[in-house]
Amino acid sequence: MPLNDIPAIAIDDLTYAYGRAEAVRGLSFAVVPGRCYGLFGRNGAGKTTTMKCLLNLLRPQSGTVRVFGLDPAKSEVEVKRRLAYVPDQVAFYPWMTVRETLDYLSSFRERWNLRTEEELLERFRLDPGKRAGELSKGQRTQLALIAAICPETDLLVLDEPTSGLDPIVRREFIETVIGAYQAGGEGRRTILVSTHLITEFEGLIDEFTIIDQGRSVLTSEADDARQRYQRIRARFAGNPPEVDLFGALRVQRQGREVEVIADGAGPIIQDRLREHTPEAIWTEALTLEEIFVAALRA
Amino acid sequence: MIFQLNYKSGKPIYLQLVDQIKAAAASGALQPGEALPPIRALAEELRVNRNTIAKAYSELESLGVVETQPGRGCFLSESPAGLRKDARRKLLMEDIDQAIVQAHHLQVSEEEFLQLVRERVAAFDQRRKAREVQEV
Repeated sequence: MPLNDIPAIAIDDLTYAYGRAEAVRGLSFAVVPGRCYGLFGRNGAGKTTTMKCLLNLLRPQSGTVRVFGLDPAKSEVEVKRRLAYVPDQVAFYPWMTVRETLDYLSSFRERWNLRTEEELLERFRLDPGKRAGELSKGQRTQLALIAAICPETDLLVLDEPTSGLDPIVRREFIETVIGAYQAGGEGRRTILVSTHLITEFEGLIDEFTIIDQGRSVLTSEADDARQRYQRIRARFAGNPPEVDLFGALRVQRQGREVEVIADGAGPIIQDRLREHTPEAIWTEALTLEEIFVAALRA
Repeated sequence: MIFQLNYKSGKPIYLQLVDQIKAAAASGALQPGEALPPIRALAEELRVNRNTIAKAYSELESLGVVETQPGRGCFLSESPAGLRKDARRKLLMEDIDQAIVQAHHLQVSEEEFLQLVRERVAAFDQRRKAREVQEV
């Protein structure tokens, strides 16, 4: 296999249980290098457990996990050298200043882009002399992001990075991931982000897997999903006719209107509705968040 | 130029960018030789994947709409007619076909449709002339 064809991440039939509670049950997905991959799920769906298996914080009970073709359990150092991680709960030594924290963390890295560090400290208006223990949650996340971007690793793993942050900090966070991290690598840097705040990552996601109760519910390219999942609304002169809407995920009738959520069958459903000469008919794509809701309800 | 992305249109994001830049070039909002925004700046501003912008720009380049100057960026072509005439006609035909299908669904008659096309051409002409006057 040529080097370029090795997925940045390959998860195959992964299973993990905490005692009797199964967190991940037979999950599989692969991330092509250079792409941004979303792992979407509700709280407790198994996202963090999956991430922890990638980082060798947990050992898979069955199935395999590979990062750049390597087993994180056997090649922990090599895997950690090539990735950076921003966890959902960021913790630093509270007595260290921002400056000391960055010096400490950079001592574990082969590379550290000081110019990026300076740029980001300024952008986030972080005071290098402030102690980590005195930082707000948003500032701690910003510090973790700086520490994850400066080593210029091939892979950036983000676990619920923006939950609990205010909208301005969230926006800056995503702009930084796109600008300082992804654009710095000329299309070669890979991102895996787990989140339930899907809307704000909409433009960043190339491909995604929706997981629920530890299982994959849907894997798709983002553009393909937005083309397949449609909301069709039709208004009729009288009561909406009883139309065979086979292939509809959800049908809602209200007064003279009918709303249909379709997965792939959109054009057929539109034609069937048109046969009954509606007064008006509209179609729009679902956003990734709406697709998430539709996929979990189906 | 200001871009407007719509995640509810069902159209791939990179194609939305391609179409908006083509429209800006046609209306004169982008002038030949004018620079497109750098990939990184535009990606950050739109909060869109860097690769999506790169894909849009390379698509525009293969269509002959823009030229990339290594190390300097992307510029609107001096002569956007880099494509052969039949290729250009074919590209346009696809768009016209889509509009015809849409017109049919919206129950717009052929006469009305053609009238609308003439009106739109005139509107573009007017906007372009207004810009030329401004620049003189």
